[in-house]
Amino acid sequence: MVELRENEHKTLLTIEKLGGKASVGQIIEETGLPNAAVMRAALVLQERELAKIHEETQTTMKLNEEGKLHAKRGLPERRLMNALEKLGGKASIAEAVKKAKMKRQYVPIALGWLKRKNWTVLDAKTSTLRMLEKPKKKEADEKLLKLLNQEEQVIAEDLSPELQSAARTLRRRKLLEINEKTKRIIKITETGWKRIKKGIRIVSEVTQLTPQLIMTGKWRRVKLTRFDVTAPGPVVYPAKVHPVQQIIQRVKKVFAEMGFTEIRGSIVETAFWNFDALFQPQDHPAREMHDTFYLKYPKTGGLPKEDIVNNVAKTHEDGWKTGSSGWQYSWSPKEAKKLILRTHTTATTIRYLAEHKETPVKVFSVDRVYRNEKMNYKNLAEFHQIEGIIMDKKATLRELIGTLKEFYSKLGLKKVRFWPSYFPYTEPSAQSTVYVPEFKKWFELCGMGVFRPEVLVPLGIKYPVLAWGGGLERLIMLKLGVDDIRFLYKNDLGWIRRTPTCQ
Amino acid sequence: MPVITLYKDRFSKFLKRPLIVEEMAKWLPWIGFDIEETGTDYVRVEYNPNRVDFSSHAGVARAFQGLMGWKTGLPKYAICKGNVTLRIDESVQKVRPYMLSAIVRNMKLDEGAVREIMEMQEDLHWGVGRDRKKASVGVHALDNVKPPFTYWATDPDEVKFVPLGKTDEMTLQEILEEHEKGIAYKHLVDWSPKYPLLTDADGKVLSMPPIINGELTRIDVETKNLFLDVTGPHLEAVKQSLNVLVTALADMEGTIESVQVEYSDRTIVSPDLTPQKMKLRRSYANELLGLRLSKTEIVECLKKCRLDAQKTKDGTIEVEIPAYRIDILHEVDLVEEVAIGYGYYRLKPTKPKTATTGGFHEATKLADVVRQIMIGLGFTEVMNFILTNKDVQFRRMRRKPEKTVKIANPISSEFNIARTGLLPSLMKNLMDNKHEGFPQRIFEVSDIIYIDMKTECRSRRQLHVAAVSSHSTANFTEVKSVVGALLADLALSRWEIKPMSKSSFIEGRIAAVQLKIKNIGFFGEIHPEVLNNFELENPVCGFEMNLERLLLE
Repeated sequence: MVELRENEHKTLLTIEKLGGKASVGQIIEETGLPNAAVMRAALVLQERELAKIHEETQTTMKLNEEGKLHAKRGLPERRLMNALEKLGGKASIAEAVKKAKMKRQYVPIALGWLKRKNWTVLDAKTSTLRMLEKPKKKEADEKLLKLLNQEEQVIAEDLSPELQSAARTLRRRKLLEINEKTKRIIKITETGWKRIKKGIRIVSEVTQLTPQLIMTGKWRRVKLTRFDVTAPGPVVYPAKVHPVQQIIQRVKKVFAEMGFTEIRGSIVETAFWNFDALFQPQDHPAREMHDTFYLKYPKTGGLPKEDIVNNVAKTHEDGWKTGSSGWQYSWSPKEAKKLILRTHTTATTIRYLAEHKETPVKVFSVDRVYRNEKMNYKNLAEFHQIEGIIMDKKATLRELIGTLKEFYSKLGLKKVRFWPSYFPYTEPSAQSTVYVPEFKKWFELCGMGVFRPEVLVPLGIKYPVLAWGGGLERLIMLKLGVDDIRFLYKNDLGWIRRTPTCQ
Repeated sequence: MPVITLYKDRFSKFLKRPLIVEEMAKWLPWIGFDIEETGTDYVRVEYNPNRVDFSSHAGVARAFQGLMGWKTGLPKYAICKGNVTLRIDESVQKVRPYMLSAIVRNMKLDEGAVREIMEMQEDLHWGVGRDRKKASVGVHALDNVKPPFTYWATDPDEVKFVPLGKTDEMTLQEILEEHEKGIAYKHLVDWSPKYPLLTDADGKVLSMPPIINGELTRIDVETKNLFLDVTGPHLEAVKQSLNVLVTALADMEGTIESVQVEYSDRTIVSPDLTPQKMKLRRSYANELLGLRLSKTEIVECLKKCRLDAQKTKDGTIEVEIPAYRIDILHEVDLVEEVAIGYGYYRLKPTKPKTATTGGFHEATKLADVVRQIMIGLGFTEVMNFILTNKDVQFRRMRRKPEKTVKIANPISSEFNIARTGLLPSLMKNLMDNKHEGFPQRIFEVSDIIYIDMKTECRSRRQLHVAAVSSHSTANFTEVKSVVGALLADLALSRWEIKPMSKSSFIEGRIAAVQLKIKNIGFFGEIHPEVLNNFELENPVCGFEMNLERLLLE
């Protein structure tokens, strides 16, 4: 005797009741089972050769706008024919068209079909139409047109062969809207019939183990359904740290491991700390409105202690006692008081160094900075900067190179090169490029250098300061394989959910 | 950063030896160039803005020859004494007081050279002139005019001339109002009652500095002799621009001839290409670089950078700097020259000598703990900009605008203020993610900025956390549980929940979190009108908390 589970049994019996053949829709309607359950049952029945799943195409037809019009007023050739009949079976095209009150766009169609249906002959010289025979009251295509007009929707496969052929004609004439659907039909096989006759036993199965089954010991008497463990289940996503934050955390950890302490400073900054204290002259292009965000409110901030301001001012003007020639212009405190959104974390660094003059200092930031940039695939107006600082008695450029090499290496970037470069507040300066194996290419990452005496002396800093910094997003794009920087902060939940935590 | 395209053939001509593109691309980075693009017969490079002398093939070739050791030490430029005079009238005192000049004779210009002279002018206008503010340059065909020349200022409607690229005469005023260069640079002179002008012995106009030259002295491949003028309010910048230009032209095989520039109180023989002198201590260079170079080695490195250097008895090295090197302000700049001459590629990395222990800022530590708890509670992190706009921050939230940091020159109206709360950003995130599966639970731990006129920066950043949950049954109870769990997991005690009112939330479904009778945050069910404003279909509950108070605990 065949053993079937409840849903399979129900499905098989339903098909039997419906004459050994039923569509999935019909079975759902009869049994009340969900679609997935019926399909699963059908697959089991097929596997056990009790039934077979057939796929049938079902073509539904509907009239389109033009079709509806013709259904109401008659096909163009019929209308012209009727007019011709009224005009005595012979007339010029113009007369017939006028009589039929036919729009010009339908005339060529009408003439074409009159010829094809062999209802008239056309004398080309005189443009005269002559009726050949009185056509049947209604031909197959017209019958179908009428049917479609009444029924709204017709299934092509249910039509007589004659109407099916007419349907093809109307379809070619672009009067129909056609919709094809695949329908699954399940049919009991011969083996199936034999087995049904022999009798079927229903096995009661339990899908969900319940507290009641466990506590009462009933679980011993029921059969726990064997699942198709390969079947797809609902998708869930883990809650997680934002992919950009994951990399920020990783970079911060590298800094901490290398002995650096994190500092955090104001995002709104005075031009004094962002530029002047870093020996950037007040007419420097980076200070202009098209590079830096200035504030409309609050507009100006305060300056630090007078001696610091004076030292910085004199250094800009003539070098003061730093040994420099300075920038040779008249420094304005008004310009220095302007509030801006900091363009680099170095503003925070230099504030910190002005307060911490004893060696050693090793500090870092990975924090937000701002540039007045049009946002596009490679630029943002708000982004993150990495910055590392060493102040030590005998700090050297070679030590900076060594530190940066280790920093990159801890981030998995082993091949690094250093070129001469220029930054307004460092000298000597260098640019680093790293080789990214995934892209087989060199990428420019951090810039670096030793702070200029014109920066250090006015603040009373006596030791060399090594600094390196760069945009973080570039590194993130390389790591995450994102090629549009804007995407990083779009907060596309799908992207965050699907980006693996382990990068 | 400024860019120059170096053509292999032209470059080789200045080097006086053939060079292939690959060799150029290989070595140029070691004098500070950034390779942008390599073509079959050219290399396009970016150069650092302090090196305006790299604005010509000749200028780059000088440095390249040094690096390769083909030609080292200071390039020498002979100046023939000329008899052309340029009178500086006192009328320019108040508008653009300085002009310096030079003559370069016997030029053999081809089209490449003419184009390069134009490009150099533009680079100098930017690099030294700060968009013509501090200095601007004019190059004229000397033979089309008659010395002596006069630099003076005149009434806007008095003189007419044909500006470069035009066919009709225009008055100075018309040029400022109608000519494209006039419109672009009128702000440099239009505040003055008189505008500057350079004319010849017959009163013919060479140029209207710093706006436009006259068509009369336009240079082309036929031009043999050049007259250079540089004007500006800043004598040092004027001198620097002239020196960079005149040395490049001399390298293009021209002969420099001096001009007597007569000011009311003195006469300057221009150009002045006297090298600048500076001392370099051997110990200073070695200490900064971490090298142990002998004085002889340092001298050699400097010579490779086309400087002259000599050991002196007092243990220092006396360095002579060519007049086109306007970037050397301090002894430290010479240290970098030593490093370039030595070769950056030869600088071996060393390990830091001092061991230190590192660590995170308190704000980072707290943020990371909060992050961990929120993820444990099933919330996914988002990261938004601090920059936002009033519409998202206030209007859509049904809130009255409050005082915020406002940007004077925003890139767009989407980002023109700093946020004072995180919640609006999260609502915007929900709006952008309607197509994603529900439930949606997101949070952010980040900064807001609020006004505080008592501080130096008139504002403070403050660490906040906020979260929202959106699904068909999101409600007050859910968010209350979440807030309770967060506070408990932060090991806080003695916090209290108090009813409050907030227009973004449903009345009676919003509460304040108090810590020692001070509000530190709020939570509740978002008002349906706010949901409509963000085009959301599911209910949303959420909270926001100021973490700064916890940092102080």
